[in-house]
Amino acid sequence: MNKFNYFNPKSLKEIWELKEKYPDSWYIAGGTDLMVKIKNREIKPSTLISLRSIPELSVIKTEDVISIGSLTTITDLINHTKLASLFPILIQAAKMIGSPQIRNVATIGGNLCNCSPCADTALPLLVLEARAILTNSKGSREVPLNEFFLGPAKSCLNQTEILTQIHIDKSSSNFQSTFLKKGRVRMDLAIASVAVLLEMKEKTCLQARIAAGSVAPVPLRLYQVEELFQNSIITSEMIKEAQKIALNSISPITDVRSTDVYRREIIGVFIKQAIQELLG
Amino acid sequence: MKKEINFVLNDSEVTIAVETHKRLIDILRGPLNLHGTREGCGEGECGACTVIVDSRAVNSCLYPAIEVEGKKVITIEGLLNRGNQLSAIQKAFVEKGGIQCGFCTPGMIMSTKALLDSNPNPTDEEIRNTLVGNLCRCTGYVQIIDSVKLAANTLKKSK
Repeated sequence: MNKFNYFNPKSLKEIWELKEKYPDSWYIAGGTDLMVKIKNREIKPSTLISLRSIPELSVIKTEDVISIGSLTTITDLINHTKLASLFPILIQAAKMIGSPQIRNVATIGGNLCNCSPCADTALPLLVLEARAILTNSKGSREVPLNEFFLGPAKSCLNQTEILTQIHIDKSSSNFQSTFLKKGRVRMDLAIASVAVLLEMKEKTCLQARIAAGSVAPVPLRLYQVEELFQNSIITSEMIKEAQKIALNSISPITDVRSTDVYRREIIGVFIKQAIQELLG
Repeated sequence: MKKEINFVLNDSEVTIAVETHKRLIDILRGPLNLHGTREGCGEGECGACTVIVDSRAVNSCLYPAIEVEGKKVITIEGLLNRGNQLSAIQKAFVEKGGIQCGFCTPGMIMSTKALLDSNPNPTDEEIRNTLVGNLCRCTGYVQIIDSVKLAANTLKKSK
């Protein structure tokens, strides 16, 4: 391991002081991605500032706006019964992350800030239209999650900001949604994944929200596909058309986990499966 | 840069000065001289380094040593009963052939302990889902799952 200084401040105030003193420092949450990157010498931070000893960052509040502290571990997220009843899709995806050992330390904020196109919690949060609360010593700003991701390992966070909370409107819990993920084995990263949320009024789809993972530089909302279903009764022809549009919206790569061709194949199949599942 | 930390390790209080870039596994196998915890991949994939921190299984290869300040850590060495007798889980792994070369065994056993402490009656699927983060490269997983089931039964009877 590269040598680094490590601070675990107990308050946000202490964090801002440390950040000013060590402007090149990195923030660390659960560390399940960051420690691997340090070990593999992809990054060489001289100072790490840990967010793990700040209790307010792991608070979950379920009022009109549901607020999830960024340092909430994936295990705590899964065990939160109120969240599970409000947003089952988020828990469904969280359960598919890594192993118990990883879920016990990895955090929801870390899963987002790592900015991997395959981040499992990103897709449900995108279709729930979650917002990221970004905070530094000067204050907080709110960013819709679809504007948070800029590319692999790249978010809209500036050098000093921390993702402190994730906000979701309670009204998003009224819709049916599902998450599908294809991995080689149980604890794998996604080869491809899809999240679909439908607002239905009897047989009519009032709005659809669809997101795809591991098929673009960022976890991606497929707005053009969504438009197709808006205010309509979904037919099998429409699903076929949606599959075509989806394939034009994504730009998968070939890597160690899969070929681009297979990823395209999965996205088409998953969109159909997810919609059929939700329509029953 | 060194920092002094205090934590409870296998029921004993420990005070130790650690270099800030060290991981939990580094201080366990290094200054604390506990070699039961193994480093396989060093990336959180294989689970050979699994230990329990505050009742939860974690990969000690990804855990900054400083973060155990004030916490309770259990390693495979902490499982021995009084008089250095093997615990029920360890005995079950021996009896059912859940050990081959033994490299993955401490991690398997720590994951099993974390499971059985919170869920004394796991289903086959729950056992498999728990051990998804522990790789064994010797053989298959059938004997290992049998070992966990035997351990669960033994622990239930002893209660």
